[in-house]
Amino acid sequence: MWRPEDLMLYEYDALSSLRQPDVVAFPRNTEHVVQIAQLALRHNLPLVARGAGTGLSGGSVATEGGILLAFSRMKQILEIDLENQRARVQPGVVNLDLSLAVADEGYYYAPDPSSQKACTIGGNVAENSGGPHTLAYGVTTNHVLALEVVQPDGEVIHTGASHWDRPGYDLTGVFVGSEGTLGIVTEVTVRLSRKPEAVKTLLAIYDQVVDATRTVAAITARGITPAALEMMDGFTLRAVEEATNAGYPMDCAAVLLIEVEGLKEAVEDQADEIEAVCRENQARDVRRAKSAAERDLLWKGRKNAFGALGRISPNYYVQDGVIPRTRLPEMLDFIGSIEKKYDLHIGNIFHAGDGNLHPLIMYDERNREQTARVSKAAKEIIMRCVEMGGSITGEHGVGFEKSDLMPLIFSEVDLELMSRIKNLFNPLGRLNPGKLLPTGKMCGELRGGLTGGGPV
Amino acid sequence: MSLAVDAVRAELAALVGPSHVLTDPAACAALAVDGKAPDCAVAPATAEQVAAVLRYASEHHLALIPLGKGTKLSMGNPPRRYDVALSLRELNRITHYEPADLTISVEAGMTFGEFQNLVGRSGLWLPLDPRGGAGSTIGGIIAANAAGPLRQGFGGPRDMVLGLKIAITDGKIAKTGGRVVKNVAGYDLGKLLTGSFGTLGVIVEASLKLFPKPPERATFTLRAGTLGIARDLRRSILRSPLDAQRLVLLDSPATALLGDSAQAHERPEAELWIEVGGTHRVLERCRHELRQLASAVGAPLAGRDGAEEAWERVSNLPLWLQQKYRDVTVLKAALPVVASEEFLSRAQQEAEAERIALASFAQVGVGIVHLCTLQDTLTGGLLGWVARLRQAAADLGGTLVIEHCPVDLKSGVDVWGAGGDDLDVMRQMKSAWDPEEVLSPGRFLGGI
Repeated sequence: MWRPEDLMLYEYDALSSLRQPDVVAFPRNTEHVVQIAQLALRHNLPLVARGAGTGLSGGSVATEGGILLAFSRMKQILEIDLENQRARVQPGVVNLDLSLAVADEGYYYAPDPSSQKACTIGGNVAENSGGPHTLAYGVTTNHVLALEVVQPDGEVIHTGASHWDRPGYDLTGVFVGSEGTLGIVTEVTVRLSRKPEAVKTLLAIYDQVVDATRTVAAITARGITPAALEMMDGFTLRAVEEATNAGYPMDCAAVLLIEVEGLKEAVEDQADEIEAVCRENQARDVRRAKSAAERDLLWKGRKNAFGALGRISPNYYVQDGVIPRTRLPEMLDFIGSIEKKYDLHIGNIFHAGDGNLHPLIMYDERNREQTARVSKAAKEIIMRCVEMGGSITGEHGVGFEKSDLMPLIFSEVDLELMSRIKNLFNPLGRLNPGKLLPTGKMCGELRGGLTGGGPV
Repeated sequence: MSLAVDAVRAELAALVGPSHVLTDPAACAALAVDGKAPDCAVAPATAEQVAAVLRYASEHHLALIPLGKGTKLSMGNPPRRYDVALSLRELNRITHYEPADLTISVEAGMTFGEFQNLVGRSGLWLPLDPRGGAGSTIGGIIAANAAGPLRQGFGGPRDMVLGLKIAITDGKIAKTGGRVVKNVAGYDLGKLLTGSFGTLGVIVEASLKLFPKPPERATFTLRAGTLGIARDLRRSILRSPLDAQRLVLLDSPATALLGDSAQAHERPEAELWIEVGGTHRVLERCRHELRQLASAVGAPLAGRDGAEEAWERVSNLPLWLQQKYRDVTVLKAALPVVASEEFLSRAQQEAEAERIALASFAQVGVGIVHLCTLQDTLTGGLLGWVARLRQAAADLGGTLVIEHCPVDLKSGVDVWGAGGDDLDVMRQMKSAWDPEEVLSPGRFLGGI
């Protein structure tokens, strides 16, 4: 594909619209990828892999042009082995499709990004994606066991194994989250998880944001690790409720959506204890989903929140930062002060249990002065995360957007070591150029036009 | 060593202080690896000193082996060179700890026992039962990615490391990851260092994810007369809603070795041991489920009190068995879960053919099988037996590593087995981190 009107479809991800590739290729198998890699090498062209383009850091956009490898035709589930709890898939398989393929037998694939209806396993591997249910079960890297990787010179290597403890360095662990800068993944072996016997979903409703945030660390302090522990503030909630009718109360300051899973007896005990903790922390009400349908409705509200916010604001910018969960009350106060300082609306919807924040800043891109304020606000929030001992990204990746923020958390020595690794796999720098490592041009700045926003 | 030993000792003393350099021959002999003793040992007191020692070694082409308490040093190929033992035991401080965040940052030399005691006061633990147990160190556990039977319930160190500080051979200290539980900034070099057996850099500090300790635990044993019964039990347990923390199949010699004195007069039979954790109510439910599973295959179920000591032995096979059998050899096969029983059957046949006395400890839920030879002296057929078992593991889609054996055996075999099509990349990785081959040269896969 090379016509400009076709290429337009590939110039953006969920972060923003950046640049068109020179050509889009649709490989069907590993051999195609090998040939394309060799072609890119001969012509010294950038080579960028792309799944569904749902990323939030510009990772799958060919910001320096070149060949875009679209994996939409490599979407076969190659093997499902339930007794070993393994599946081998092509990178274009949609995350949710894998879970659905094994659901009848009582299994699922644990990492569940909010974009799971569209995003691909290959994209998840590149970004080391998370999701609401990673609190107890871990993120993509904890569920990926082996990879087939095409190197930029066309060599194919196989890392890891479907069994434990293969001797040698854990190259799989290095490739996961490397954002397409170390190789092109053409096959992924993942762990499948067994569905729990029982699930309980609770909605705790608060009149004060601070009470909700205090509850988070209080729950883990009781020795309970919920499967999911999400927070939404009142502003976000009202937008969501109007769009989805999930049954959230319209007049509260914040809710926590909490889920516990496991043996029936464990789940009952934990749900009781969580309810008690919520009430000790001034929850106005704690509701429990009484049926699978009620549970689905609560999650529908959460997973579609971003679309709902899109209804009330022409644009919004999603920040992705991490702090220790004990600092949540302080952080939410800070975000409130930033909202006032820059005269903006900020919605908060995030993975509270992990301390993974997603402040959503509303704006209108036609208002350039306001857009500039959004950038400043986003920057201040991420700086505060760093000061609190956190990270500049919990699950969206560094990509194009945050590569110049890397020096905020990594020293020159740390970054030099990362460059060494990159040079080893990608010596000419033609694999996904301009991503992950700092460009050295705009140290400490967010990059990318603020136009996007997708599910988190 | 290209320099005179005395000069090296003096210069190292200048870097870390004379009291942190050990030259006594007996002390050096105690730090021997595969029969080779270092010329001296250094125990730096700070991360910066570790880095300075590395830079010095790089400049003078010295070979170092980093170690904590040395509980896993019998793993690996004999070192090509070994001049200086680099002990991390003086780096044993907690640098950051917030129990409510379930995270901790700790220096590499802290012993696992001290660590567990400390976090245990807040009802937390690191759910690992590595070789070396309480006497091993945090750094050593990570460097060896050492997981025991608890990996059934919790995975291994790989999944618990949030960030690392690493001294590298050019004399600098690098950081990877962070101390928050979720973080995707930059390459995850922590994964690379975990299980790298001290061949890339020296782990000086680790940030780890902690877990709430289950309020109660219980161990049940199921009699598994045949491998067929064991397979059926394994399948039904893994398909049940139970979450086993540990699950190990002991053959009859292993049962006899671990047997409690009350049953000493009975003829030992193979047993499947399962440990579960949770509230009293959860444990009662587990007991009920297990009784049903057991009766379906006609396997009697029993509770086992005071199982912790027995579990520690299973985590610590070489150290424990060495007390009884001087030349014990411990093999570890890592297999697809479904292949565990088939591999055990092959191993038993091959052992009988070679007249090798054997005990097996198989973590059947994760496909890890430990085979231990029970004999005082090395027998001639052992190498052939190992080669045939390695082939059997490969045929079943797995790998086999010699975790512990007499030094003599190592001259005839690579303890790690063969590498795959990514071995070249691993060699390049080694060169990128340690171009002068300062760190544990020759100890790792493919002579890395």
